[in-house]
Amino acid sequence: MSDHLDSGGRELAPETPRLDQRPLSVLERRLTLADMLDVDSFSELVKSFAELYKLGIQVFDEKGNRLAWIKVGNGDFCGYVFSFPEGQRCCTQTVARVKGGPLATTQNARAPQAPPGTKLHGMIAVPCFTGLRYLVLPILWEGDVLGRVVFGPFTPEDLGELPTSLTDLTPGIDLAQAQAYLAKIRRAPESTIIKVLLHFSQLLETLVAAGQKTFLTSQVHIEATLESNRDLEAQNRRLEQMNLQLKDMDRLKSSFLATVSHELRTPLTSIIGYSEMLSEGLVGTLNQEQTEYVRTIMDKGDTLLKLISSILDVTQIEAGKVRLTFEPVSVGDLVSTAVSSVKPQAQKKGLTIDLKVPARAVEVRADREKLRQVMVNLLSNAVKFTPKGGWVQVLVTEVRFQPELDADGWRFVVQDSGVGIPADQLDKIFQSFYQVDNSSTREFGGAGLGLAIVKSYVEGHGGQVRVQSELGQGSRFEVVLPVQPPPPRAVIAPPLSEPAPAPVDRF
Amino acid sequence: MQLNHAQRELTVKVVYYGPGLSGKTTNLQMIHARTGSEGRGKLLTVETHDDRTLFFDLLPVFFHTKGGYTVKVKLFTVPGQVIHNATRRVVLQNADAVAFIADSRRSAGQENNQYWSNLQDNMRENGLNAAQVPIVIQFNKRDLPDTKTDAELEETRARGKEPVIGAVAIRGEGVLETLFAVLQLAYRKMDEQAGLSRNIGLGEAEFLKLIFARMDTAGTRVAEWLASGGGPR
Repeated sequence: MSDHLDSGGRELAPETPRLDQRPLSVLERRLTLADMLDVDSFSELVKSFAELYKLGIQVFDEKGNRLAWIKVGNGDFCGYVFSFPEGQRCCTQTVARVKGGPLATTQNARAPQAPPGTKLHGMIAVPCFTGLRYLVLPILWEGDVLGRVVFGPFTPEDLGELPTSLTDLTPGIDLAQAQAYLAKIRRAPESTIIKVLLHFSQLLETLVAAGQKTFLTSQVHIEATLESNRDLEAQNRRLEQMNLQLKDMDRLKSSFLATVSHELRTPLTSIIGYSEMLSEGLVGTLNQEQTEYVRTIMDKGDTLLKLISSILDVTQIEAGKVRLTFEPVSVGDLVSTAVSSVKPQAQKKGLTIDLKVPARAVEVRADREKLRQVMVNLLSNAVKFTPKGGWVQVLVTEVRFQPELDADGWRFVVQDSGVGIPADQLDKIFQSFYQVDNSSTREFGGAGLGLAIVKSYVEGHGGQVRVQSELGQGSRFEVVLPVQPPPPRAVIAPPLSEPAPAPVDRF
Repeated sequence: MQLNHAQRELTVKVVYYGPGLSGKTTNLQMIHARTGSEGRGKLLTVETHDDRTLFFDLLPVFFHTKGGYTVKVKLFTVPGQVIHNATRRVVLQNADAVAFIADSRRSAGQENNQYWSNLQDNMRENGLNAAQVPIVIQFNKRDLPDTKTDAELEETRARGKEPVIGAVAIRGEGVLETLFAVLQLAYRKMDEQAGLSRNIGLGEAEFLKLIFARMDTAGTRVAEWLASGGGPR
């Protein structure tokens, strides 16, 4: 079998997906202003700044998207100029230049008039045809231009009369009205506005630095969490594959045992059959010693046959091939048969078997053969593990409500005065092939299958089996069974390796 | 490496890797202190209250080439503590070169080895071919007692192909030399992959000069290199 195929020949889940196929990390992406600034609180800040300095401020990212826009004072004046057709055209042109034009002293822009030695960080001045003025500063971050800040329009301190560039284009303009509107716009020397803009840019840089740190760390934190998840998922996949392989091996084991048991049983039947014929004198009379030998062969053959049958039962349970057929069963009769089948061994060891059945017959539905086997297995264990002169008690209760089943049911109890089971092994004795004493010199024989079969069959009837025991004092096995077993499931699950039920989606 | 011809931009990623407290952040702090603010961004560090790197540190260094390309070199550190392996792997993604900062003390040998093998594992997990990502080893803390001798450093050097540089990062010794070596190897690898000199007209000497000419290299071997005209070294 290929490593990549399961027993059904299906392709197993592929290995972890390649990690280099994940999306580009935030550490390798070019960040935008919007990534690093909390736009809402930034707008608030720009607003208070604009109101403090009585200056319009606009902030754009590198693609020309406006992140903040606060108008202060120029609304009436600009609106008035905009009402003239030529005014509208020139205004639109100026706004486009300021917002999207090159951050260089070209296309009507010039270097700002700053005191010598001032570091201007790429600032430009853009005059408006109205005589007003804008200052534009690139937002530089790690060598990239992330956007621009636009201050204005403001009225240059030296502006007197409205320039002809305005009056020529707006015939019939009411100069008094225009001057009145103009008075609402901040009038200041360009050098003052330059200072304010440089101050604003320092503030912005601090905000961007803090924002970058927050953004990068939170994103990297998410990426790292996803990365850990991927690790865990990969580990889960590996475990699932191992689990599948283990289950495969388990199935193989069961199927091997089933085959071998079957192959053993056939010749064994012949051995027993021929021994029987010999002992019955069909081929001539045997002397006493010969008869005794042949009977020993038959006895041991029977023991072996029972063992092989148990193995077959367990492998069938594990292979999920056991079906129960329920029919009306009289419990009293069944218990008597079971007790009588262990009586010879009990007598040999001088054990007393005490059987208590209720006066009123207990009539239930069950799989007669499987139920008999449950009883026989528990009884023969009791007999096997109880030393000479001990006792075994068998109790069948009447039908009544059984809380643990939440239904009407009855109990079958086998108690003995035997060797008992150590407390730390109580939960293991129902596993296949489990032996409390696993040493090669152990006192009690058997394959360790009886209780595994009991548990499977009892649960197949919708019942439960429990054990109490004290070392050296004896054991008590109690089986609770419903009167009316649930409709048989297609298969009885093996007592071992029951997978935890998958969680059910709640929403 | 991200080479964007449309934006005429080359981004180079160098990762400082190594055990916790070996001096990765100190290396970046020294480079930051020695580089003029025109040629670098802010040093971004995210530390816990006890000065341990929590996520990473980032120092961007940038310059413009004669050919009109903007070159950004992003220097990262990874968090050294064992529990942050997932973050280490995220930061290591697509690294062009690695500076492995080892602690020179003999007592740190085992930890150096563990992180070395962790680096190989994470490279593999990231789909990086460990044989193709150049690594420079810095033996830091040469001033501490119990430090390995120069002969022992020689032995380490002889065992592999990676350049080995001694350093006392806290005093700035060996920091620029390490950066020089790791950038030189990064350049050579990128040139091999993308033909930088052929395609964007950026040669090794120009690449290194544009970075180090903006730094205060006084007293380092990089200064000697610059003084000698920046020939092959």
